[in-house]
Order: sequence, then structure tokens, then C-alpha cells
Amino acid sequence: MLKYVIKRELQHYLYSLVFQISFLLITAVFIVGTIAFLKSYDAKIQEYSKYNVEFTNGLKNTAESNASNLAVRRQTFVSKPRGNGFIADCKEKYLPNNFIHSAYNVFGFEVRSGSVNPFLNNFQELNWSFIVSLIMSFIVLLLTFDTISGEKESKTLAITLSNTISRGTLLWGKYISVIMVTMLMLIIGIILSILIVIISNKVALSFISVIEILYFILLSFFFISLISAFGILSSVIVRKSNVSLLIALTFWLIFVVIIPNSSMFSAKNIFSIEHSDDINEKVSKARDDINRNAPEGSWAASGGNPFLPEHELRADNQTNLMNSEMNIRNAYYQDMFRQLEKTRLLTMISPISLFEYMNEAVVGGGYLRFQKVWNDLHSFQPQFLQFFKELDANDPDSPHWYNPYENYSTTKKPVNFEQVPLFEERIISLEERFSFILKYLLVIVIYTAVIFFSSFVLFVRYDVR
Amino acid sequence: MIFSIAKKDFLLNLVSSRFVIGFLLCLFLIPFTLMVNIDDYSEQLRVYTLDKAQTDKNFKEVKVYSKLRPEIVKPPEPLTIFSGGISSNVGNRVKIWLGEKPLLATGKTAIRDNPLLNSFFSIDFIGIIAIVMSLLALIFTYDLCTGEKEEGTLKLQLSNSISRYKILLGKVIGVYLILLPIILFCYILSIIFILISPNIQFSAGDWGRICLLFLTSILFLSIFIFIGLLISTRSHSSRVSIIVCLFFWVFFIFIIPNLSVYMAESFIKVQSRDNLQYALDDLNREYGEEWDEYEKTLKRPDWGRHWNHSWGRDGYQELYGTSKSRYEYYRQSQEFKEPLRIDYADKKWAFQKAYLDELDKQKNLAEMISLISPSELFRLVCSAFCRTDVNSHYRFMDRTRIYREELINYFKDKKIFSSFSYFTPVPPETFMTADEIVRIRSGGEFKNNQEYREWVRNEQAKGTSMRSISASLGKVDIPETDPNAYSYLDLSDVPIFQLHFGDILTDLKECLFKISASILISILLFYLSFISFIKYDVR
Repeated sequence: MLKYVIKRELQHYLYSLVFQISFLLITAVFIVGTIAFLKSYDAKIQEYSKYNVEFTNGLKNTAESNASNLAVRRQTFVSKPRGNGFIADCKEKYLPNNFIHSAYNVFGFEVRSGSVNPFLNNFQELNWSFIVSLIMSFIVLLLTFDTISGEKESKTLAITLSNTISRGTLLWGKYISVIMVTMLMLIIGIILSILIVIISNKVALSFISVIEILYFILLSFFFISLISAFGILSSVIVRKSNVSLLIALTFWLIFVVIIPNSSMFSAKNIFSIEHSDDINEKVSKARDDINRNAPEGSWAASGGNPFLPEHELRADNQTNLMNSEMNIRNAYYQDMFRQLEKTRLLTMISPISLFEYMNEAVVGGGYLRFQKVWNDLHSFQPQFLQFFKELDANDPDSPHWYNPYENYSTTKKPVNFEQVPLFEERIISLEERFSFILKYLLVIVIYTAVIFFSSFVLFVRYDVR
Repeated sequence: MIFSIAKKDFLLNLVSSRFVIGFLLCLFLIPFTLMVNIDDYSEQLRVYTLDKAQTDKNFKEVKVYSKLRPEIVKPPEPLTIFSGGISSNVGNRVKIWLGEKPLLATGKTAIRDNPLLNSFFSIDFIGIIAIVMSLLALIFTYDLCTGEKEEGTLKLQLSNSISRYKILLGKVIGVYLILLPIILFCYILSIIFILISPNIQFSAGDWGRICLLFLTSILFLSIFIFIGLLISTRSHSSRVSIIVCLFFWVFFIFIIPNLSVYMAESFIKVQSRDNLQYALDDLNREYGEEWDEYEKTLKRPDWGRHWNHSWGRDGYQELYGTSKSRYEYYRQSQEFKEPLRIDYADKKWAFQKAYLDELDKQKNLAEMISLISPSELFRLVCSAFCRTDVNSHYRFMDRTRIYREELINYFKDKKIFSSFSYFTPVPPETFMTADEIVRIRSGGEFKNNQEYREWVRNEQAKGTSMRSISASLGKVDIPETDPNAYSYLDLSDVPIFQLHFGDILTDLKECLFKISASILISILLFYLSFISFIKYDVR
């Protein structure tokens, strides 16, 4: 029986106007979005490699002049443009993507200047994630808002139900067929997009890309199921199809407009953190305290004589200054992370935000990537320091007083650049991503079950007259 | 007759569920958005007050002209509550340097406390009006013809001796009657919110601008009413008509804004900020070489020590307690350096301007594509009225560059670059020769510099530490070397930056093209729907 329902519904949907228009729209957006991505990716990669050459040359020159300069040099690690950005960009260009570190510490992160044109409005790239979360969700609601109320109005519901079919089977059949139709559109769009990527030959698709694409399709399936459940729910709440349309649209507006756009407000007011001015004040106060209590001669220096006794005091003082500043700042960074994470947890009520966060795990980008680089840098930095200390230990002309900001009292010998450890970003492994997705997947499945179950309950009591 | 139709439609709509839901949506969304934006504005105001106090203090507390580098802080625009435009992307602070023209503003509006939150967008009042009112306009018009046709009442109406255009006009008026109160309600609500918020002050001109916003909103509403009307008169069932309407809606409101910017960003290449920086670094190097060349022609001073010296970016030097010859050396070098740096700023500007032009080109393309959508047109006009659009920002930045010229002219007119007061508050008549400094500081131990130098050479040969050698000149302090002995400069005649806002008329003129285009579009849409309604098949 279920088979007949699905067959009938599929025919109904495939010939419907919604399907035809959306099919055209989605295909067009998939094509345009992918082409635009490839175009901008090309430019970004060129820029990135140019930066990298300049950066490596600078580092090399420093290394070949003086190892201490290399150690205290503030390096800026810039994350590489992602080749799988056509799946999801995760708003990475708005996120901090410059990481500042030296051998002694990881100092902080900032939004790369010039990564966004300030004269343009904030926008989302037209990638797969955008298409599914915004356009497909809208289409799914248009397909489902009148599943029940529409049939009631055209009086076919009463006839259908006078057969031996159970209400559950009918609802289930309709649900499955909507998902099937939407997935069909999605998969055609994805195939087109992949074809364009392959033909352009600008992005190499590897085994990992295949897994990512499969992950994306899987998550889209869950996402679409959830949105369809919402559509069906709005069709069984009321008896008139135009009212259920309004309800469906209200759901959509809440998910797409209200919740995501209120996150800044809730972050600032519900999960507020200290202002950065206050933190800077704290830092400079701690700095003044340390300087005031520093022993006499802590600021004496001589470029020519590394063994000047005051250099030891100076190195200690500078280390104290760095530690006190970084203690305050690291606590503040943790506050920032918590603020973002809590806000995200709150916005997860919106399936669209939820889907966006899941996509970070699919492509290994966004905040997840930020965290990964941040943590990896923290484990890289001690290795780099270790390397430098070993180098320094072999130099008899160095008093080995480690000064995190200056080169007075450590080795001034050049170092072979090939031996210098360089930080490289490692992509997030598939297992890590999957374990991350799993949490969200659980949320989305429960969410879907609750919504679908409530529509089922409402439908069982639905008055077909 | 028209009015009785309008009245009938109005009353029918008033009791309909779409009115209730639409009204509730506004009732919920508008206060919420206002709250968010007023909160945001208060935060901007808080930061502004802090920044302003800081920069004012920095401006006043200078003892030498080389430290006089005013920083302009733009006060937050209260109209951002209505339309944010690009105000949250561009900064509000501009530091005036001599060696570089202001390129982009910095400041906290551009860099938030937590940069991770940049991934969250926010929406302003106009954005909500655009989304909700366009949706309501379409929802109320999609079945204007089809609905009555399906019920069969259209036939009945037309069988009377009433002309079709009267029916159409009556129906349109009915829709206006229902939507105008909603939009009026939204605006009244916003005005109430503004009046009860303690820290928002609107000038008379600002209220005028709000009136303009209201009128523009009605114009925008009309476009969507006529789009709905046209679709309704072209289709034969309500279901088709609503589907088409909603696709147009999602396309205009959600796809075009993202599409336009994305296309502009992908297809117009802007060189990276790094590239610009490389070019500027090259110029800096060139400047350094030119200066080194000139420095060789200067007479080296016979005395190298000073008792107080601070220095910093952009030519900042603050010097106390050195010899006459060394003061003179600094004076001569800065007399050459500062005008040269200003020349180099002009050379740098060529690159900076090219960069800005590229950004501008990208913005223009984005704007052009976005004009496909009436809602983007509406938002552009509104942000111009609220002084938060790109052009207002350009005007502000231009003003800062003019101000920099004014400041330079002030320096030049007063011949500050060739005066000692550029780097030291010590009056020139109290400058001492090296011999005098040695004599006084050593308490008469050495007669002159020559004697002191020989003594130093001998002591160094003996291996005496630098510290005790230095101590020999610390016996008697010269009061003029203490920075605290000097008061701040009198800066009452320094030009002050003044923010010029264009008046409403100039802003209106700028948007005239867009506004007249919207009027034309709505007339055209109405005309088209009129024609198709005349030919409408009522069966």
C-alpha cells in the first residue's frame, strides 16, 4: 500500500509547478555558484602562494642572519584557501584567519585585513550549503505545506481515507516521497556542480573529497527530512491550505531570518564577555606592576656584549611580562570561544543554523578549522622552542638567557633554514569530523522524530470533512 | 463604486487569517529588531564616548608639534537603527599621519570585541521591512483575481454594469487600505521605541529622513503589490499564482543580495592588501635612501648625548637636554625629512587610490546586479537616507584627507617644520653648547667637552664600567632637561576636523535616479496588470 501512495505522490510532485520552477532555479544556482567559486578560488590561491613565498623568504633571511631573531620573530600563519569551498565556505572570510606566534608563545588571532571588501554587504557564498539550507528548505516547505490541508480542500483526502489505508501509512508515504523528490533535485545539482569542478581542473578531487560529498548528501538528507516534517506539521495544524502556507512561511522566516540574525544580540547580552578595552587595561596594569617590582638594571642592554649581567634580569623581566600578558589574554580567548559555542548552541533551534554548523564538520572548515589550527599551533610552539634551545645550547657564545622578545642574550649564529621546523596546517581527519557530526546528527534525528510524531498525532485526529 | 469594492476587500481581508498572522509577525519582529539595533547603537555610543575622550586627551597633551597627529572619531549615526548599510563593516576612526593619507577607517565598529562573532550577521529595521512587507504585499495580492474567480464571485461582479478597471482599482485600494496601517504601525512603533530610549537624540533633519524612509517604504510596497497583481492577473489558479509569487520573493530577497556580492567578488579581482603593502614598503625604502643621501651633507653634531629622548611613528621626536649643535642637526634633518615624507605620501596615494578604485569597482558591480531586485533598490535608497551607504563613507574619508591637507598647510604656514618647536619645547635661547653642558653637569670637574672626552678615553682604557663613566655627568642637573618643566602646546589655532553632513536634498538628488526608476517600474507593472486584467478570462 505504501508503495502505491509513494508512486502517486511522486507523480503528483514531479508534474507540479513547484518542482519545475525549483528544478530550474536550483540547477541555475548550482552552476552559477560553482563557476563563481572556481573563479575566486583561483585568484585566492595565487594570492596565497605569493604571500607564502614572501613570508618564507622573510623567514629564511632572518634564519640565515640570526637564530635568535628567528625565534623571537612574530610569524603570521595564514590558513590556506579551501578547495572544497564549493560545498560550504563556513563564512571563513569573516572569521579570524591570521594566527600570530613565535617560538615562545602563540599570541593571538585576527581577521586578515583585506580578506573582505568593507564596502560590500555581508553575504553568503552560493555554495551547496547555501543552496540546501536556504533555497531547498524553502522549496521543501512549498512542496509540503498543503500535503494534508490541500488534499482536504480538493476533497481527495476523504476518498483516499475511505480505502483500507491507514492514516500512518498515508502520512509516511507522503513524507518519503517529498524527501525523494527533493533529494533527486539535489543530487542532479550536485552532479552538475562536480562535473564543472572536474572539467575546470582547478581543484583536485581526492578520496577525501568523495567522502566529504557523501557526508554532505547524508546530512542534507537528514536536514530535508527535518524541514519536510515541519512542512507536514504546518499542513496538519490547520484545515485551510492558505493558512498552512502562512504557518510554513513563518517557520521558515524564524529559522532563516530571526534566529540567525539575533545571534549577535544573544551573544552580547546573554553570554556577554568583558570588553577588549578592559582586557587591554588589565594587561597594561599587570605590565606596570611587573616593571615597578623588577630589580634595578632590568632594562639595561648592550648589543655588543651578550654576557652583560643585566641581560639575565632583562630576559627574566621580559618572560614575566609575556607570561602575565598571555595569562590574561588566554583566559579572554577562552571566554571568546565559550561565547561563540554557547551562542551556537542556542541558535541550533534553527535547523538552518544547525545544518550550517554540521557542514563545518563535513568540509573541515569554519570554527572547527580555526580551533584545530589554534590547538595545533599550541602544540607546535613548544617543539619550535625546543629546537631553538638545542641550537642555543650548542653555542658557547650564548649565555642561554631566554628572552622572548629580544635577541640580546641567546645565540646569534645563523641557522640552516632547512632544519627549521615550520608550522603546517593538518586537515581535520575524517574520524574527528565524524565524531563531531555524530553529536549534531543525534540532535537532528531527535528533532525530526519529535516534529514528525507531533504531525502524526495531529493527523490521526484530523477532521477530513 | 470603486470605494465600495475597496471597502468590501478591506473588510474581507481584515478578518482573514493572513492579516492576523501578518500583523502578529510584525508585532513580534519589529520590536525585536528595534531592540537589537538600539542596543547595538548604545554600544557604539559607549565605545565612541570612550574613544573620543581618549583621542581628545591625546590631542591636547602634546609638547612638540611632531606629536600632533589628530585622530578623528566619527560619532555613531543614530539612523543606523533604521538602516545599518555598511556602517558595521567600515571603521569609525581615522588617524591623520603626515607620511600616509588615510586609506580605510579603523576602529571597533570594524573589529569587534570577539572577532569570532563576525560569522553572525544581523539585520536592521529596513531589512525586516523589506522581508515582511514584500511577503505581505504578495500574500494579499496573489489571489486578487484568481481567488474571486475560483469562488465564482468575479463573474457575478462583472455581470453588473461596472467596468473592469474600476474593479481592479477598487481591489488595489483595498490592499493598500490593509497594508498601509501595518506599515504605519511599524514606523509608529519604531518612533515610540526611539522616544523612550534615553540615549538617542534625533535632530529635525533626522525626523525628515525618517519621513522619507516611510515614503520610500510605501513606494517599495507598491512595487510588490503590483508584482503580485500582475502575477495574479496572468495566472488562472491561486495555487499557481502563490507559488510564482513566492519564488519571486525568495529570489529577490534572499538570492539576489548574496548572488550579486558573490559574483562581484568572484569576477572582479582586487589585489591583496599585502600587495599594496609591498608597494608602499618599496616607496618607504626609496624614501630612506633619499634621506640617507641627504644626511651625508649635514654637519655631524659634536655632541651625541641627550637626557630625554622619545620617538615614534610618523616623525615623532621629543628631545630634551642636548647640545645646541645637536638640536640644530635635528632641526635641519626634519626640515628636509618632513616635506619629503609628505611628498612620498602623495606617491603612496597613487597605489592606495588604485586599491580603493578596485574595491569601488567591485562594489559597483555588486550594486548593479543587485538592482534586479526591488528590495535591494529599496535598501540602497534607505541606507543613503540614513547616511550609512558607501557614498556617505566616501565623503567622510574625503573630508579626512582634506583635513590632513589643512593640517599640513597649518604646519607650513607657521614654518613649523623648520622650527625647533617641532621636536622640542626647550626655548632656543636656553640651548647650551657641549662645553657648557659638560661644565655644568660635571659640577665644574671638566672645563669643556674636549677635556671630558679625553678623560672618557682614559677611563675606558682602564676598564672602568660605562655606568660609572656616565655618572660623572650626573652631578648637577640642568633644569631644562626635564620634560615635566614644560607645559603643553597652545593648539587653539590648529584646524579642527568638522564633520559635514549633506542635507536631505543632496541625498535625495543622489537617489533621484533610483527613486524615479522605482516609480516607473511600479507604473509599468500596474499598467501591465491592468491590460491583462482587461483580457482576463473569468471562466
